[in-house]
Amino acid sequence: MGSETWGLDQYIASDMRVGNAMVMQIVENLQRIGWGESELFGVHMALEEAIINAIKHGNKESANKEVHVCVEASLHSFFLRVTDQGDGFDPSAVPDCTLDENLELGSGRGLMLMNHYMDMVQYNEQGNSLEIRKSR
Amino acid sequence: MTEFHCIKLSRKNDVSVVRLIDDRVMDSERIAVMGKELMSLTESENGHRVLLNLGNVRFLSSAAINKLIVLEKRLGAAGGYLKLSNLSPEVEEVFNITQLDSVFDICDDEDQAIAAFG
Repeated sequence: MGSETWGLDQYIASDMRVGNAMVMQIVENLQRIGWGESELFGVHMALEEAIINAIKHGNKESANKEVHVCVEASLHSFFLRVTDQGDGFDPSAVPDCTLDENLELGSGRGLMLMNHYMDMVQYNEQGNSLEIRKSR
Repeated sequence: MTEFHCIKLSRKNDVSVVRLIDDRVMDSERIAVMGKELMSLTESENGHRVLLNLGNVRFLSSAAINKLIVLEKRLGAAGGYLKLSNLSPEVEEVFNITQLDSVFDICDDEDQAIAAFG
């Protein structure tokens, strides 16, 4: 079990149900190769934000656009790249979700959680491709 | 009587005690329904003291958390009160990371929360 790796390279439809299924597929495979429940929680949170944001905010759930999902995982590390076909965004311009006036906006909370749970969170220059990494 | 699909509602003293049915609150359609059902509590006559027991919740997405924030704000605006209880350590950590522990009144368990309503 200790040396088992798992990976995925797939284009998925910009559909929230497909995104949720993809998140669960990745979580279940990480569990299978030995990731524990409490460590998986943070990865699950980051995955959810990355994939659902790409579908919802990146591709705006367009039937004509796909999200490219790449995963490389082992018992010791997890890497995810999610690329959408949207215009991209500037992560530094996301409003501060802890301010009272922004509480209900929701934007920024996912990024905050990803930054906490992951060792690396990196967007490309256009802001439509996100890489996250976690080592154990 | 209102039929709910994503929450279970019971009464304890004068408090509406709500439990979420899903242990992983992440499906966008279910979250939308949950949001509407939670909002309906702000309109009901007895809905102004609400305890949300998250005891069975193993995972909740930030979209789900957003529904809880909206509930908190709407209840507050209507003169009501919301408390959360029975958070798993992982779920509680999410509230700490996002500084929502200062927005929500979080209690250890249901009894403590009911007592805190006074």
